Amino acid sequence: MRPLMVPGKRDSLVRIGDYVVEAGRLGGLCRRDVYRLHLAVDEIATNIVIHGYGRTGTEGMIEVSTTLDDRMLTVVVEDTARPFNPCLVPEPYDLDFPLESRKIGGLGIYLALQSVDTFAYEYVNRRNRNIFGMYRSGREPDP
Amino acid sequence: MTETMEISTRTLDQVTVVEINGNLDGTTAIMAEEIIGDHCQEGTRLVLDLRQVSYMSSMGLRLLLLISRKLADLHGCMALVGLSDDLKETMSITGFLDHFATYDALEEGVSALQQEKE
Repeated sequence: MRPLMVPGKRDSLVRIGDYVVEAGRLGGLCRRDVYRLHLAVDEIATNIVIHGYGRTGTEGMIEVSTTLDDRMLTVVVEDTARPFNPCLVPEPYDLDFPLESRKIGGLGIYLALQSVDTFAYEYVNRRNRNIFGMYRSGREPDP
Repeated sequence: MTETMEISTRTLDQVTVVEINGNLDGTTAIMAEEIIGDHCQEGTRLVLDLRQVSYMSSMGLRLLLLISRKLADLHGCMALVGLSDDLKETMSITGFLDHFATYDALEEGVSALQQEKE
């Protein structure tokens, strides 16, 4: 698939979602894995739109690209907002708390990282690169 | 493709039923919060019918949490109806599932909230 380049705005999230769902289908992922990949990319892209660009008042693009090999479908989401490494966000500590004492927000990054088989972050040439991987068999290959 | 989400509301035996049709995500959840929030009054018993919601991100979870808190403050209560397996998994990973009253069928949710009143 050709990379998708869209403005880092809320209106672009549906196009990013459609692109990722299509990539998942072409990669032969099962329906549940397509959903999980879509969820992970949507959470990170929403975060880029709201916090990366929105809150700092900067404008920029989001680029989404995919690569496919025998074992894995990889989706890369890049932006030019300030550096932000999702892996450094602490996991929520209140997941088993009753609703009245739960923190509002902060679940998106956790959900994203839980939903894909592999996740990596790089900051290269002033770009955040979020790299999502799904095994095509639907489970991790044998070592 | 443009994102659309529809919300319709009706009252069944003094229980407010809010049906959401579409995705609950970063594009739609804030609008849903405003509309559903308007239906939360003192003592409101609210069934959120999610049978037509095929996708929900953390923005949807945030919505559920906000509405549930608002209703608790107003001495109301809420039940969720018709969660798909995908939505259940998201709610389970984030520890939400056990804290909400959930039902498969609309009638079950409505009848549970009616009994809540008595």
